[in-house]
Amino acid sequence: MIVGKNIHKSFGDLEVLKGVDLHVKPQEVVVLVGVSGSGKSTLLRCFNFLEMINSGEITIDGHTINPKKEDLAKIRAEVGMVFQHFNLFPHKSVLENVIEAPITVKKMKKEEAKKLGMNLLRKVGLEDKADVYPSKLSGGQKQRVAIARSLAMEPKVMLFDEPTSALDPELVGEVLQVMKQLAEEGMTMVVVTHEMKFAKEVADRIIMIDQGTIIESADPKNFFENPQNERTKQFIQLVE
Amino acid sequence: MPEIFVTVFDVFMRTYPGFLEASVITLELTAIGVVLGTVIGLIFALMKISGSKILRGIANVYITVIRGTPLIVQIMFLYFGIVEIYTMSNFWAGAIALGVHNGAYIAEIFRGAIQGIDPGQREASLSLGMNRKQTMQRIVFPQALRRSIPPLGNQFIITLKDSSLVYIIGVAEIFSLANREAAQSYQAFESFLVVALYYLVLVMIFTFLLRLYENKLDVDKA
Repeated sequence: MIVGKNIHKSFGDLEVLKGVDLHVKPQEVVVLVGVSGSGKSTLLRCFNFLEMINSGEITIDGHTINPKKEDLAKIRAEVGMVFQHFNLFPHKSVLENVIEAPITVKKMKKEEAKKLGMNLLRKVGLEDKADVYPSKLSGGQKQRVAIARSLAMEPKVMLFDEPTSALDPELVGEVLQVMKQLAEEGMTMVVVTHEMKFAKEVADRIIMIDQGTIIESADPKNFFENPQNERTKQFIQLVE
Repeated sequence: MPEIFVTVFDVFMRTYPGFLEASVITLELTAIGVVLGTVIGLIFALMKISGSKILRGIANVYITVIRGTPLIVQIMFLYFGIVEIYTMSNFWAGAIALGVHNGAYIAEIFRGAIQGIDPGQREASLSLGMNRKQTMQRIVFPQALRRSIPPLGNQFIITLKDSSLVYIIGVAEIFSLANREAAQSYQAFESFLVVALYYLVLVMIFTFLLRLYENKLDVDKA
């Protein structure tokens, strides 16, 4: 579904990604872990072209993308992204947040979009908040709205960039629950997270990134019980 | 009652028909200055944040020159400079000068507000498949506009008071009336006190309306 080949990305002199290869299969849930600064978030942002790679190749759904020539908006519409800080639109109500892109980008009729929006809000358990503004929501509710907003574009793959890192501990569960449900429905997902319990339960594969390269890639059982790389072992000890 | 109140009151009663008429001109000057300034400000703000070096350069020159020279010089320049080439009334010369002057300040207000919006807003919008133009129009600018309202209100009040400077090219707004009244009646103190009160009342009305509008926006957002 998403294939990254030999991805290099630098910010000035700092090389953040040093030739990353990643192949995410349809309906696969891949969890990216690593210490902060390892490049995992940058990799995620490269997949929907919020960051431009310096070299390498990104293929989405069989289509290799040339970011210089193509309409990036069209590509981004197929790749949903959920951010650490939610980034809901504060000047729009919850429902308006969800239906903004279908109306603006897909030119969907307002009535139709509203129906879709309400369905998605029901799915994340927030249909009663449709007319509320984001400032009135808790962090967990905000993130669930952000997920619904992303789903409204019917993306082929969803990227999650530390979706629970900005939440109070008691609000993490409700967001993970929604993500788990998505995974069960067969959504292709790439998730950067520190929630190891989630990784164990939901991931098909856990990938450890360290200093801009992938150093471990295994199913959860092998990742936690039989890590190959020394730094992965250290990391697991640290988080367990 | 002290003598001074009596004479001020006399001047007020004698001059209010003229002042009411001149107030209309002051308000017209302000309105044109504000509207023109907002349009110019928006254009130059967008130029200043654009990817084009040339557009940014033009915007920088405009803002630097306008902010770096006094309004009264700009009024005289426009009046004597432009009227040579293109005939226009002194009213319009003054109103355009106010607009051009304001445009530079308002451009900076808009630019600051646009650049002050959390980059995450832009990223979220782009990630949903909205293009740059849609992102600006639907996500960034509406939020920037809200944030611009308090400084814009301030700028509008400055425009109202600055409109007094066009008296120099003979536009019959309230300050020029006060000036003439002072010269004719030798009651300078009273005349300028009266005109000061007119400005004060106008600014207070303006401030009140702005506050109503700001409160309305807050209620919308809550």
